Amino acid sequence: MTYAVLAVSGVALALLGGAVLTGLAFRRDRSIVRGRHLLAVAVTALVLIALTAIFDNLMIGAGLFHYASEHLLGFSIGLAPIEDFSYPLAGALLLPALWAALQRGSAQRRRDCAQLVLSSRPISWVNTAFPFGAAYLLVTREIDWVFVVGVLYFLIPYNFAMYGINDVFDYASDLANPRKGGIEGALLAPRLHRPTLWIAALTNVPFLILLGTAGGPAAWLALALSAFAVVAYSAPRLRFKERPFLDSVTSSFHFVSPAIVGLLLAGGHINGALVLLLSAFFLWGMAAHAFGAVQDIGPDREAGIHSIATAIGARATTRLALLLWIAAGALMLFTPWPGPLAAIIVVPYVVNCAPFWFVTDANSARTNRAWRRFIALNFFAGFLTTLLLILEWNRV
Amino acid sequence: MGMLYLGLLLGGIACMLLLDRRFSLFFWHDPAVALLVTAVGTALFLVWDLAGIAAGVFFRGEGVVASGIVLAPELPLEEPVFLIFLVLCTMVVFTGSARIFGAMRDRRSADGDAAIRRDANRRDPRRGDA
Repeated sequence: MTYAVLAVSGVALALLGGAVLTGLAFRRDRSIVRGRHLLAVAVTALVLIALTAIFDNLMIGAGLFHYASEHLLGFSIGLAPIEDFSYPLAGALLLPALWAALQRGSAQRRRDCAQLVLSSRPISWVNTAFPFGAAYLLVTREIDWVFVVGVLYFLIPYNFAMYGINDVFDYASDLANPRKGGIEGALLAPRLHRPTLWIAALTNVPFLILLGTAGGPAAWLALALSAFAVVAYSAPRLRFKERPFLDSVTSSFHFVSPAIVGLLLAGGHINGALVLLLSAFFLWGMAAHAFGAVQDIGPDREAGIHSIATAIGARATTRLALLLWIAAGALMLFTPWPGPLAAIIVVPYVVNCAPFWFVTDANSARTNRAWRRFIALNFFAGFLTTLLLILEWNRV
Repeated sequence: MGMLYLGLLLGGIACMLLLDRRFSLFFWHDPAVALLVTAVGTALFLVWDLAGIAAGVFFRGEGVVASGIVLAPELPLEEPVFLIFLVLCTMVVFTGSARIFGAMRDRRSADGDAAIRRDANRRDPRRGDA
Protein backbone atom coordinates (compact mmCIF):
# COMPACT_ATOMS: atom_id res chain seq x y z
CA MET A 1 0.00 0.00 0.00
CA THR A 2 2.91 2.36 0.81
CA TYR A 3 4.10 2.40 -2.80
CA ALA A 4 0.68 3.61 -3.96
CA VAL A 5 0.87 6.54 -1.55
CA LEU A 6 4.35 7.36 -2.81
CA ALA A 7 3.27 7.06 -6.46
CA VAL A 8 0.14 9.17 -6.03
CA SER A 9 2.04 11.90 -4.17
CA GLY A 10 4.75 11.93 -6.85
CA VAL A 11 2.24 12.25 -9.68
CA ALA A 12 0.21 14.84 -7.78
CA LEU A 13 3.29 16.98 -7.17
CA ALA A 14 4.33 16.63 -10.80
CA LEU A 15 0.82 17.56 -11.94
CA LEU A 16 0.78 20.62 -9.70
CA GLY A 17 4.29 21.73 -10.69
CA GLY A 18 3.57 20.98 -14.34
CA ALA A 19 0.34 23.00 -14.32
CA VAL A 20 1.98 26.03 -12.71
CA LEU A 21 4.97 25.94 -15.04
CA THR A 22 2.84 25.35 -18.14
CA GLY A 23 0.60 28.28 -17.18
CA LEU A 24 3.68 30.43 -16.73
CA ALA A 25 5.09 29.34 -20.09
CA PHE A 26 1.77 29.97 -21.90
CA ARG A 27 1.47 33.44 -20.42
CA ARG A 28 5.02 34.49 -21.10
CA ASP A 29 5.54 32.90 -24.48
CA ARG A 30 2.83 33.72 -27.03
CA SER A 31 4.55 31.63 -29.68
CA ILE A 32 3.68 28.33 -27.96
CA VAL A 33 0.72 26.70 -29.71
CA ARG A 34 -1.20 25.52 -26.65
CA GLY A 35 -3.08 22.61 -28.21
CA ARG A 36 0.04 21.30 -29.83
CA HIS A 37 1.99 21.53 -26.58
CA LEU A 38 -0.65 19.62 -24.60
CA LEU A 39 -1.00 17.02 -27.35
CA ALA A 40 2.77 16.48 -27.30
CA VAL A 41 2.65 16.04 -23.50
CA ALA A 42 -0.12 13.44 -23.88
CA VAL A 43 1.80 11.58 -26.58
CA THR A 44 4.93 11.65 -24.42
CA ALA A 45 3.04 10.18 -21.48
CA LEU A 46 1.55 7.41 -23.66
CA VAL A 47 4.84 6.53 -25.36
CA LEU A 48 6.72 6.41 -22.06
CA ILE A 49 4.03 4.34 -20.37
CA ALA A 50 4.20 1.87 -23.25
CA LEU A 51 8.01 1.76 -23.05
CA THR A 52 7.80 1.30 -19.29
CA ALA A 53 5.45 -1.65 -19.74
CA ILE A 54 8.07 -3.33 -21.92
CA PHE A 55 11.30 -2.40 -20.17
CA ASP A 56 10.10 -2.58 -16.59
CA ASN A 57 9.16 -6.20 -17.27
CA LEU A 58 12.59 -6.87 -18.74
CA MET A 59 14.37 -5.19 -15.83
CA ILE A 60 12.36 -6.99 -13.17
CA GLY A 61 12.76 -10.22 -15.12
CA ALA A 62 16.53 -9.72 -15.15
CA GLY A 63 16.46 -9.47 -11.36
CA LEU A 64 17.69 -5.88 -11.20
CA PHE A 65 15.28 -4.94 -8.42
CA HIS A 66 12.26 -6.18 -6.57
CA TYR A 67 9.57 -4.89 -4.24
CA ALA A 68 8.29 -5.56 -0.80
CA SER A 69 5.01 -7.19 -1.84
CA GLU A 70 3.16 -6.06 1.28
CA HIS A 71 3.64 -2.46 0.09
CA LEU A 72 2.09 -3.05 -3.35
CA LEU A 73 -1.52 -2.66 -4.44
CA GLY A 74 -1.31 -5.94 -6.26
CA PHE A 75 -2.28 -4.87 -9.76
CA SER A 76 0.46 -5.39 -12.30
CA ILE A 77 1.11 -5.47 -16.02
CA GLY A 78 3.14 -8.60 -16.46
CA LEU A 79 5.75 -8.30 -13.73
CA ALA A 80 5.53 -4.51 -13.51
CA PRO A 81 3.46 -3.24 -10.59
CA ILE A 82 0.95 -0.61 -11.66
CA GLU A 83 2.58 1.92 -9.29
CA ASP A 84 5.75 1.89 -11.41
CA PHE A 85 3.89 3.78 -14.12
CA SER A 86 3.87 6.84 -11.87
CA TYR A 87 7.50 7.57 -12.88
CA PRO A 88 6.96 8.05 -16.64
CA LEU A 89 3.64 9.81 -16.00
CA ALA A 90 5.21 12.29 -13.56
CA GLY A 91 8.14 12.82 -15.92
CA ALA A 92 5.82 13.64 -18.83
CA LEU A 93 3.76 16.02 -16.67
CA LEU A 94 6.65 17.94 -15.16
CA LEU A 95 9.70 17.92 -17.45
CA PRO A 96 8.19 19.38 -20.67
CA ALA A 97 6.54 22.08 -18.52
CA LEU A 98 9.89 22.94 -16.94
CA TRP A 99 11.48 23.02 -20.38
CA ALA A 100 8.77 25.30 -21.80
CA ALA A 101 8.91 27.65 -18.82
CA LEU A 102 12.68 28.02 -18.98
CA GLN A 103 12.89 28.16 -22.76
CA ARG A 104 11.67 31.70 -22.87
CA GLY A 105 14.51 33.00 -20.72
CA SER A 106 15.73 36.17 -22.32
CA ALA A 107 18.61 35.71 -24.71
CA GLN A 108 20.66 37.78 -22.29
CA ARG A 109 20.08 35.37 -19.40
CA ARG A 110 20.94 32.44 -21.61
CA ARG A 111 24.20 34.09 -22.64
CA ASP A 112 24.99 34.80 -18.98
CA CYS A 113 24.56 31.13 -18.07
CA ALA A 114 26.77 30.11 -20.96
CA GLN A 115 29.41 32.58 -19.82
CA LEU A 116 29.33 31.26 -16.26
CA VAL A 117 29.80 27.70 -17.48
CA LEU A 118 32.50 28.74 -19.92
CA SER A 119 34.31 30.53 -17.13
CA SER A 120 34.83 27.22 -15.31
CA ARG A 121 36.74 25.80 -18.34
CA PRO A 122 34.62 22.65 -18.92
CA ILE A 123 37.41 21.25 -21.08
CA SER A 124 39.65 21.14 -18.01
CA TRP A 125 37.11 19.76 -15.51
CA VAL A 126 38.50 16.27 -15.83
CA ASN A 127 42.02 17.44 -14.89
CA THR A 128 41.05 17.80 -11.23
CA ALA A 129 38.43 15.04 -10.98
CA PHE A 130 40.80 12.45 -12.42
CA PRO A 131 43.60 12.77 -9.84
CA PHE A 132 41.07 12.49 -7.02
CA GLY A 133 39.21 9.54 -8.55
CA ALA A 134 42.36 7.64 -9.51
CA ALA A 135 44.01 8.12 -6.10
CA TYR A 136 40.86 7.19 -4.19
CA LEU A 137 40.08 4.16 -6.32
CA LEU A 138 43.60 2.74 -6.20
CA VAL A 139 43.48 2.68 -2.40
CA THR A 140 39.89 1.59 -1.74
CA ARG A 141 39.37 -0.47 -4.91
CA GLU A 142 35.66 0.13 -4.71
CA ILE A 143 33.21 2.82 -5.69
CA ASP A 144 31.25 4.26 -2.79
CA TRP A 145 29.55 7.53 -1.99
CA VAL A 146 32.82 9.30 -1.08
CA PHE A 147 34.18 8.46 -4.53
CA VAL A 148 31.06 9.75 -6.28
CA VAL A 149 30.79 12.93 -4.17
CA GLY A 150 34.53 13.61 -4.44
CA VAL A 151 34.67 13.13 -8.21
CA LEU A 152 31.61 15.36 -8.62
CA TYR A 153 33.17 17.99 -6.36
CA PHE A 154 36.51 18.08 -8.14
CA LEU A 155 34.75 17.85 -11.52
CA ILE A 156 32.49 20.90 -11.27
CA PRO A 157 32.26 23.02 -8.06
CA TYR A 158 36.03 23.04 -7.53
CA ASN A 159 36.61 24.31 -11.06
CA PHE A 160 33.80 26.83 -10.73
CA ALA A 161 35.60 28.26 -7.72
CA MET A 162 39.11 28.04 -9.12
CA TYR A 163 38.47 29.61 -12.51
CA GLY A 164 35.49 31.74 -11.49
CA ILE A 165 37.39 33.57 -8.74
CA ASN A 166 40.28 33.92 -11.16
CA ASP A 167 38.13 35.42 -13.91
CA VAL A 168 36.51 37.89 -11.52
CA PHE A 169 39.75 39.31 -10.16
CA ASP A 170 41.66 39.11 -13.43
CA TYR A 171 39.11 41.11 -15.34
CA ALA A 172 41.61 43.91 -16.02
CA SER A 173 44.26 41.74 -17.62
CA ASP A 174 41.74 39.55 -19.40
CA LEU A 175 40.28 42.65 -21.00
CA ALA A 176 43.66 43.31 -22.59
CA ASN A 177 44.05 39.68 -23.71
CA PRO A 178 42.57 38.60 -27.06
CA ARG A 179 42.93 34.95 -26.00
CA LYS A 180 40.01 35.05 -23.54
CA GLY A 181 36.49 34.14 -24.56
CA GLY A 182 37.07 30.60 -25.86
CA ILE A 183 38.09 27.27 -24.35
CA GLU A 184 40.76 29.12 -22.41
CA GLY A 185 38.19 31.03 -20.40
CA ALA A 186 35.39 33.53 -20.64
CA LEU A 187 35.73 37.24 -20.36
CA LEU A 188 33.35 37.61 -17.46
CA ALA A 189 31.14 40.70 -17.60
CA PRO A 190 31.43 42.75 -14.36
CA ARG A 191 27.67 42.24 -13.83
CA LEU A 192 28.39 38.52 -13.35
CA HIS A 193 31.21 38.93 -10.88
CA ARG A 194 29.09 38.83 -7.73
CA PRO A 195 26.96 35.84 -8.87
CA THR A 196 30.14 33.98 -9.84
CA LEU A 197 31.57 34.33 -6.34
CA TRP A 198 28.25 33.31 -4.79
CA ILE A 199 27.97 30.23 -6.99
CA ALA A 200 31.54 29.29 -6.09
CA ALA A 201 30.85 29.57 -2.36
CA LEU A 202 27.43 27.90 -2.40
CA THR A 203 28.56 24.96 -4.51
CA ASN A 204 31.85 24.38 -2.69
CA VAL A 205 31.07 24.66 0.99
CA PRO A 206 28.48 21.84 1.24
CA PHE A 207 30.76 19.46 -0.69
CA LEU A 208 33.73 20.32 1.51
CA ILE A 209 31.72 19.68 4.67
CA LEU A 210 30.30 16.43 3.28
CA LEU A 211 33.74 15.17 2.22
CA GLY A 212 35.17 16.26 5.56
CA THR A 213 32.80 13.91 7.39
CA ALA A 214 34.39 10.99 5.53
CA GLY A 215 37.92 11.57 6.78
CA GLY A 216 40.08 12.46 9.75
CA PRO A 217 42.22 15.50 10.61
CA ALA A 218 44.76 14.75 7.85
CA ALA A 219 42.01 14.80 5.22
CA TRP A 220 40.55 17.99 6.72
CA LEU A 221 43.94 19.66 6.48
CA ALA A 222 44.31 18.57 2.85
CA LEU A 223 40.80 19.78 1.98
CA ALA A 224 41.41 23.09 3.74
CA LEU A 225 44.76 23.63 2.01
CA SER A 226 43.24 22.71 -1.33
CA ALA A 227 40.38 25.20 -0.89
CA PHE A 228 42.77 27.84 0.45
CA ALA A 229 45.02 27.48 -2.61
CA VAL A 230 42.00 27.91 -4.88
CA VAL A 231 41.05 31.17 -3.18
CA ALA A 232 44.56 32.46 -2.49
CA TYR A 233 45.60 32.09 -6.12
CA SER A 234 43.54 35.04 -7.32
CA ALA A 235 41.72 36.67 -4.40
CA PRO A 236 42.75 40.26 -3.59
CA ARG A 237 45.64 40.84 -1.22
CA LEU A 238 46.77 37.18 -1.28
CA ARG A 239 47.13 37.10 -5.07
CA PHE A 240 49.56 34.16 -5.15
CA LYS A 241 49.32 34.25 -8.93
CA GLU A 242 51.07 37.60 -8.89
CA ARG A 243 53.99 36.36 -6.82
CA PRO A 244 56.55 34.87 -9.18
CA PHE A 245 57.31 31.18 -8.44
CA LEU A 246 54.59 30.97 -5.78
CA ASP A 247 52.21 31.28 -8.75
CA SER A 248 53.49 28.09 -10.37
CA VAL A 249 53.62 26.25 -7.05
CA THR A 250 50.03 27.17 -6.18
CA SER A 251 48.74 26.38 -9.65
CA SER A 252 50.37 22.96 -9.55
CA PHE A 253 48.93 22.34 -6.09
CA HIS A 254 45.47 22.90 -7.60
CA PHE A 255 45.94 19.66 -9.54
CA VAL A 256 48.00 17.67 -7.03
CA SER A 257 45.82 18.44 -4.00
CA PRO A 258 42.77 16.49 -5.32
CA ALA A 259 45.03 13.41 -5.46
CA ILE A 260 46.26 14.02 -1.91
CA VAL A 261 42.68 14.51 -0.68
CA GLY A 262 41.69 11.30 -2.48
CA LEU A 263 44.52 9.33 -0.87
CA LEU A 264 43.76 10.61 2.61
CA LEU A 265 39.99 10.15 2.35
CA ALA A 266 40.60 6.61 1.15
CA GLY A 267 42.77 5.99 4.22
CA GLY A 268 45.92 5.37 2.20
CA HIS A 269 49.39 5.59 3.76
CA ILE A 270 51.75 8.03 2.12
CA ASN A 271 55.04 6.18 1.56
CA GLY A 272 58.27 6.94 -0.31
CA ALA A 273 56.98 5.78 -3.67
CA LEU A 274 53.87 7.93 -3.34
CA VAL A 275 55.94 10.98 -2.39
CA LEU A 276 58.04 10.45 -5.55
CA LEU A 277 54.93 10.11 -7.69
CA LEU A 278 53.26 13.18 -6.19
CA SER A 279 56.49 15.18 -6.54
CA ALA A 280 56.70 14.23 -10.21
CA PHE A 281 53.08 15.29 -10.68
CA PHE A 282 53.89 18.50 -8.84
CA LEU A 283 56.86 19.35 -11.08
CA TRP A 284 54.76 18.51 -14.13
CA GLY A 285 52.09 20.96 -12.92
CA MET A 286 54.63 23.70 -12.24
CA ALA A 287 56.03 23.28 -15.74
CA ALA A 288 52.56 23.47 -17.21
CA HIS A 289 51.79 26.69 -15.35
CA ALA A 290 55.11 28.34 -16.10
CA PHE A 291 54.93 27.53 -19.79
CA GLY A 292 51.31 28.70 -19.91
CA ALA A 293 52.33 32.05 -18.41
CA VAL A 294 54.83 32.72 -21.21
CA GLN A 295 52.14 33.47 -23.79
CA ASP A 296 50.59 36.10 -21.49
CA ILE A 297 53.77 38.10 -20.81
CA GLY A 298 52.59 40.97 -23.05
CA PRO A 299 49.06 41.46 -21.68
CA ASP A 300 50.19 40.74 -18.11
CA ARG A 301 52.90 43.40 -18.21
CA GLU A 302 50.46 45.88 -19.72
CA ALA A 303 47.99 45.25 -16.89
CA GLY A 304 50.80 45.36 -14.32
CA ILE A 305 50.33 41.70 -13.35
CA HIS A 306 53.38 39.77 -12.25
CA SER A 307 54.00 36.13 -13.00
CA ILE A 308 56.92 33.76 -13.12
CA ALA A 309 57.20 34.62 -16.80
CA THR A 310 57.14 38.40 -16.43
CA ALA A 311 59.73 38.08 -13.66
CA ILE A 312 62.39 36.01 -15.39
CA GLY A 313 61.38 36.50 -19.02
CA ALA A 314 60.06 34.23 -21.74
CA ARG A 315 63.26 32.39 -22.53
CA ALA A 316 64.22 31.51 -18.95
CA THR A 317 60.63 30.47 -18.13
CA THR A 318 60.39 28.21 -21.17
CA ARG A 319 63.71 26.57 -20.34
CA LEU A 320 62.70 26.16 -16.70
CA ALA A 321 59.44 24.51 -17.78
CA LEU A 322 61.35 22.09 -20.00
CA LEU A 323 63.70 21.19 -17.18
CA LEU A 324 60.79 20.69 -14.78
CA TRP A 325 59.10 18.33 -17.23
CA ILE A 326 62.32 16.37 -17.67
CA ALA A 327 62.79 16.26 -13.90
CA ALA A 328 59.23 14.97 -13.49
CA GLY A 329 59.98 12.16 -15.94
CA ALA A 330 63.26 11.40 -14.18
CA LEU A 331 61.56 11.13 -10.79
CA MET A 332 59.11 8.60 -12.19
CA LEU A 333 62.06 6.36 -13.12
CA PHE A 334 62.70 5.83 -9.41
CA THR A 335 59.15 4.72 -8.54
CA PRO A 336 58.24 1.02 -8.30
CA TRP A 337 57.00 -0.81 -11.40
CA PRO A 338 54.96 0.18 -13.46
CA GLY A 339 55.77 3.77 -12.42
CA PRO A 340 58.89 4.11 -14.59
CA LEU A 341 56.73 3.59 -17.68
CA ALA A 342 55.06 6.92 -16.85
CA ALA A 343 58.35 8.72 -17.59
CA ILE A 344 57.44 8.42 -21.26
CA ILE A 345 54.42 10.69 -20.73
CA VAL A 346 56.66 13.77 -20.49
CA VAL A 347 58.17 13.17 -23.93
CA PRO A 348 55.32 14.79 -25.92
CA TYR A 349 55.40 17.80 -23.58
CA VAL A 350 59.13 18.23 -24.10
CA VAL A 351 58.74 17.88 -27.88
CA ASN A 352 55.89 20.41 -27.82
CA CYS A 353 57.79 22.97 -25.77
CA ALA A 354 61.39 22.50 -26.98
CA PRO A 355 61.01 24.49 -30.25
CA PHE A 356 60.61 27.60 -28.11
CA TRP A 357 64.05 27.24 -26.47
CA PHE A 358 65.06 30.56 -28.05
CA VAL A 359 61.74 32.38 -27.60
CA THR A 360 61.96 36.09 -26.76
CA ASP A 361 59.65 38.31 -24.73
CA ALA A 362 58.67 40.05 -27.96
CA ASN A 363 57.42 36.92 -29.74
CA SER A 364 56.30 35.10 -26.59
CA ALA A 365 52.64 35.25 -27.69
CA ARG A 366 53.56 32.67 -30.31
CA THR A 367 53.85 30.00 -27.63
CA ASN A 368 50.05 30.02 -27.62
CA ARG A 369 50.27 27.55 -30.51
CA ALA A 370 52.08 25.08 -28.26
CA TRP A 371 49.64 25.87 -25.43
CA ARG A 372 46.68 24.88 -27.58
CA ARG A 373 48.39 21.60 -28.41
CA PHE A 374 49.09 21.25 -24.69
CA ILE A 375 45.36 21.04 -23.91
CA ALA A 376 45.06 18.12 -26.34
CA LEU A 377 48.25 16.54 -24.98
CA ASN A 378 46.71 16.46 -21.51
CA PHE A 379 43.98 14.13 -22.75
CA PHE A 380 46.61 11.87 -24.31
CA ALA A 381 48.62 11.91 -21.07
CA GLY A 382 45.43 11.14 -19.15
CA PHE A 383 44.85 8.17 -21.45
CA LEU A 384 48.36 6.82 -20.87
CA THR A 385 48.04 7.37 -17.14
CA THR A 386 44.76 5.46 -17.15
CA LEU A 387 46.41 2.53 -18.95
CA LEU A 388 49.16 2.52 -16.31
CA LEU A 389 46.60 2.62 -13.53
CA ILE A 390 44.82 -0.38 -15.03
CA LEU A 391 48.17 -2.17 -15.21
CA GLU A 392 48.82 -1.34 -11.55
CA TRP A 393 45.27 -2.35 -10.63
CA ASN A 394 45.65 -5.80 -12.17
CA ARG A 395 49.16 -6.29 -10.81
CA VAL A 396 48.32 -6.27 -7.12
CA MET B 1 28.08 -9.82 -17.50
CA GLY B 2 28.34 -7.42 -14.56
CA MET B 3 28.52 -4.35 -16.75
CA LEU B 4 25.77 -5.37 -19.21
CA TYR B 5 22.96 -3.30 -17.69
CA LEU B 6 25.17 -0.24 -17.22
CA GLY B 7 26.48 -0.65 -20.76
CA LEU B 8 22.94 -0.87 -22.17
CA LEU B 9 21.91 2.24 -20.26
CA LEU B 10 24.90 4.21 -21.53
CA GLY B 11 24.18 2.91 -25.04
CA GLY B 12 20.57 4.09 -24.66
CA ILE B 13 21.74 7.51 -23.52
CA ALA B 14 24.11 7.70 -26.49
CA CYS B 15 21.24 6.83 -28.89
CA MET B 16 19.02 9.52 -27.34
CA LEU B 17 21.81 12.07 -27.72
CA LEU B 18 22.31 11.04 -31.35
CA LEU B 19 18.60 11.60 -32.03
CA ASP B 20 18.84 14.87 -30.13
CA ARG B 21 21.80 15.96 -32.22
CA ARG B 22 20.35 14.87 -35.55
CA PHE B 23 17.13 16.86 -35.03
CA SER B 24 18.44 19.58 -32.66
CA LEU B 25 15.79 18.69 -30.10
CA PHE B 26 17.04 19.14 -26.55
CA PHE B 27 20.73 19.63 -25.71
CA TRP B 28 21.37 20.68 -29.27
CA HIS B 29 18.48 23.11 -29.12
CA ASP B 30 19.23 24.85 -25.83
CA PRO B 31 22.14 23.32 -23.91
CA ALA B 32 21.85 25.42 -20.75
CA VAL B 33 18.14 24.78 -20.23
CA ALA B 34 18.52 21.12 -21.21
CA LEU B 35 21.23 20.67 -18.61
CA LEU B 36 19.04 22.28 -15.98
CA VAL B 37 15.98 20.15 -16.88
CA THR B 38 18.12 16.99 -16.80
CA ALA B 39 19.66 17.90 -13.46
CA VAL B 40 16.34 18.84 -11.83
CA GLY B 41 14.52 15.82 -13.28
CA THR B 42 17.21 13.35 -12.22
CA ALA B 43 17.45 14.85 -8.75
CA LEU B 44 13.66 14.68 -8.21
CA PHE B 45 13.45 11.06 -9.39
CA LEU B 46 16.39 10.21 -7.15
CA VAL B 47 14.66 11.74 -4.12
CA TRP B 48 11.59 9.71 -5.04
CA ASP B 49 13.71 6.55 -5.18
CA LEU B 50 15.32 7.31 -1.84
CA ALA B 51 11.89 7.87 -0.30
CA GLY B 52 10.84 4.45 -1.64
CA ILE B 53 13.99 2.84 -0.27
CA ALA B 54 13.51 4.51 3.11
CA ALA B 55 9.89 3.30 3.19
CA GLY B 56 11.10 -0.23 2.48
CA VAL B 57 9.35 -0.52 -0.91
CA PHE B 58 12.32 -1.00 -3.28
CA PHE B 59 15.05 -3.55 -3.01
CA ARG B 60 18.11 -3.97 -5.13
CA GLY B 61 18.08 -7.29 -6.93
CA GLU B 62 21.04 -9.62 -7.25
CA GLY B 63 20.77 -9.69 -11.03
CA VAL B 64 23.88 -10.99 -12.77
CA VAL B 65 23.72 -8.19 -15.38
CA ALA B 66 24.22 -5.51 -12.69
CA SER B 67 27.64 -4.24 -11.64
CA GLY B 68 26.92 -4.81 -7.95
CA ILE B 69 28.35 -1.36 -7.14
CA VAL B 70 26.18 0.30 -4.53
CA LEU B 71 26.03 4.06 -3.85
CA ALA B 72 23.80 3.86 -0.80
CA PRO B 73 21.81 1.05 0.80
CA GLU B 74 19.67 -0.55 -1.96
CA LEU B 75 20.76 2.13 -4.46
CA PRO B 76 22.91 0.64 -7.22
CA LEU B 77 25.23 2.74 -9.39
CA GLU B 78 22.96 2.07 -12.35
CA GLU B 79 19.93 3.80 -10.85
CA PRO B 80 21.01 7.45 -11.37
CA VAL B 81 22.15 6.51 -14.88
CA PHE B 82 18.74 4.99 -15.54
CA LEU B 83 17.06 8.15 -14.25
CA ILE B 84 19.15 10.33 -16.56
CA PHE B 85 18.12 8.04 -19.41
CA LEU B 86 14.47 8.35 -18.39
CA VAL B 87 14.68 12.15 -18.40
CA LEU B 88 16.45 12.21 -21.77
CA CYS B 89 13.95 9.78 -23.25
CA THR B 90 11.02 11.87 -21.97
CA MET B 91 12.42 15.09 -23.38
CA VAL B 92 13.42 13.62 -26.75
CA VAL B 93 9.95 12.10 -27.18
CA PHE B 94 8.32 15.38 -26.12
CA THR B 95 10.40 17.75 -28.23
CA GLY B 96 10.29 15.28 -31.11
CA SER B 97 6.52 14.93 -31.09
CA ALA B 98 6.05 18.69 -30.69
CA ARG B 99 8.23 19.09 -33.77
CA ILE B 100 6.23 16.51 -35.73
CA PHE B 101 2.89 18.15 -34.83
CA GLY B 102 4.30 21.49 -35.89
CA ALA B 103 5.40 20.09 -39.23
CA MET B 104 2.02 18.36 -39.75
CA ARG B 105 0.11 21.60 -39.17
CA ASP B 106 2.38 23.47 -41.53
CA ARG B 107 1.79 20.86 -44.22
CA ARG B 108 -1.99 20.97 -43.72
CA SER B 109 -2.08 24.70 -44.07
CA ALA B 110 0.21 24.35 -47.06
CA ASP B 111 -2.24 21.99 -48.76
CA GLY B 112 -4.97 24.60 -48.26
CA ASP B 113 -3.38 27.31 -50.26
CA ALA B 114 -0.39 25.81 -51.96
CA ALA B 115 -0.22 28.60 -54.48
CA ILE B 116 0.18 31.31 -51.85
CA ARG B 117 2.80 29.23 -50.05
CA ARG B 118 4.79 28.65 -53.20
CA ASP B 119 4.71 32.34 -53.73
CA ALA B 120 5.76 33.01 -50.14
CA ASN B 121 8.55 30.46 -50.37
CA ARG B 122 9.91 32.21 -53.39
CA ARG B 123 10.22 35.37 -51.41
CA ASP B 124 11.42 33.85 -48.15
CA PRO B 125 13.02 30.44 -48.48
CA ARG B 126 13.32 30.10 -44.70
CA ARG B 127 9.56 29.86 -44.23
CA GLY B 128 9.61 26.17 -45.06
CA ASP B 129 11.13 25.08 -41.75
CA ALA B 130 9.27 27.40 -39.41
